[in-house]
Amino acid sequence: MQAGARTVWRVPALREGKRMKKIKKAILPWLYSVPAYALIGVIVLFPILYTGYISLTNMNLYHWQDYRFVGIENYVRALGKIDSGFLSAVGTTIIWTAVNMLLDVTLAYVMAVGLNVEGLRAKRIYKTLLIFPWAMPAYVSILVWRVGMFNTEFGLLNKLLVAMGGTKTDFLSKNVSAFLSCMTLNLWMSLPYMIIMIDGALQSIDRSMYESAELEGANAWQKNLYITIPSLKKIMAPVVVMTTFTTFKQFDIVYLLTMQKGSVSGSTMQTIITYAHQNAFVSNNYGLSSAVSIVIFAIIIVFSAWTNRGTTEA
Amino acid sequence: MGKTMNKKIKLAVLNLFYVCVCLLGLVPILYILLLSVSGGSGALTTGNTVFPERFTVENYRRILVEEPFLRWLFNSAALSVGTMVIAMGTSVTASYAFSRFRFRGRNAAMQLLLLLNAFPQILSMFAIFRLFRLLNLLDSHGGLIFIYAGSMCIFGIWNMKGYFDSIPIEIEEASKIDGAGNLQLIVKIILPLARPAIIVTAVMILIFVWNEYLFATTFMMREESYTLAGGLYQLQANDYSRSWPLFSAAAMLVSIPILIVFFCVQKYMVSGLTAGGVKQ
Repeated sequence: MQAGARTVWRVPALREGKRMKKIKKAILPWLYSVPAYALIGVIVLFPILYTGYISLTNMNLYHWQDYRFVGIENYVRALGKIDSGFLSAVGTTIIWTAVNMLLDVTLAYVMAVGLNVEGLRAKRIYKTLLIFPWAMPAYVSILVWRVGMFNTEFGLLNKLLVAMGGTKTDFLSKNVSAFLSCMTLNLWMSLPYMIIMIDGALQSIDRSMYESAELEGANAWQKNLYITIPSLKKIMAPVVVMTTFTTFKQFDIVYLLTMQKGSVSGSTMQTIITYAHQNAFVSNNYGLSSAVSIVIFAIIIVFSAWTNRGTTEA
Repeated sequence: MGKTMNKKIKLAVLNLFYVCVCLLGLVPILYILLLSVSGGSGALTTGNTVFPERFTVENYRRILVEEPFLRWLFNSAALSVGTMVIAMGTSVTASYAFSRFRFRGRNAAMQLLLLLNAFPQILSMFAIFRLFRLLNLLDSHGGLIFIYAGSMCIFGIWNMKGYFDSIPIEIEEASKIDGAGNLQLIVKIILPLARPAIIVTAVMILIFVWNEYLFATTFMMREESYTLAGGLYQLQANDYSRSWPLFSAAAMLVSIPILIVFFCVQKYMVSGLTAGGVKQ
């Protein structure tokens, strides 16, 4: 600080150059990021604004060009009328997210703690094998499950059923069984990630805590409850929040299993995202679909503001 | 004595449990692998046995020769590389600016990017579709590359900014004193230092494009402009052709490169993610 001040005082001629430098410094960050802004502006920001605009019009298949402004009619229809199907999709999505997250975290916790039991020599092998479902491309996994597991002719599940004396069942044709099928697949796909993350977090817990707990006579249950879980909470929070968002936004599983174009399975299960997609690309209610999209965006913003409170970017 | 015995039984039970879990986890993949090498699609449909009567690579030959698989592969590769070049080109400099400069509107811009990233791109797909139709960009790989690059650019900025933050600024100051210009500084000093982050980000972008099927099937109209994801989707969507063994072979071929890449970078992905978590 002192050295800097002295330099300026001693060499006044440098001031002009310094101002130039200052201007350059003000422009430079923008210069660096203009291409990114342009790209994001056209591809991400503008379509969102445009979606907001469409949500206020009656644009649909018949009004492709000559649509008109209808105000908040689409929002009223989505949120106010039970038979629009949006509210039940919201319900399904909430149940879907809650059940999946509960099972995901609980099962992953049990498996990760089990992996860290002393003396389990094959831990690395198990971990490597467990990673496979995570490493597979998601859409391949879903299609593989559709063809290889749930399919009535080829599906392994039906083969097992028939072998055990049951009858062939189309798991994806009824709402409840479709929900459970989607959930099974979602857990199959998301558990490996959660297990690896919890396993990583477990390594950061101070071993000496367990030792002193053992000296005090704590049993395994108490060690889990009072040492492991509280220590994991903080480290795992971002991962859990992130996974919750992914689960909430899950589209591919429901779409590819039950509502592919030309091979709708028969179940009417809808999450909010599939609902928005269906209204845009199947029933061509662009206005309604856009209104729903904006509502979903609002939900996501509120939810992320709520989970982010307290954490600020340095 | 009783205690060690007890422990041994416990470990045996635990091992049995994990063997079962791993098997359960691998069953769908193994089954598809089995399907892909089984001869004749009829044998599997009717019989109740899981194991095929004979093993063959016929399905692999057919997928490579009779279906436009190589065409799809080329499209996927071109799209992946194109997206990576554009997304990395724009996001490296932008994330550097966010990390190193304290300029007006910096925080607001970063929060806005985060907000935009929270918007699922599926929801604006129709708006993009309409826009692209107007601009005559439908059914063009260039258009698809821009869509992918747009969303990956935000991801890249946030992903690499964290790493740039961790490079001590003293290194830059030292090289500035040595007379390095701004551009020189980035190319010669920062990029080599940030290489791990750049490689991981680039690989994740590649994987993203490789695995994307929804935009690829919605925006591409002709089968020959499909990507691997689109083609695979097409193969299983043709219910009438009953080409499951063919589909299985294609699924294996598509997954293997991803599996290899994944296991190569997995170490970095986990450490990067948890490191970020601890920081928060």
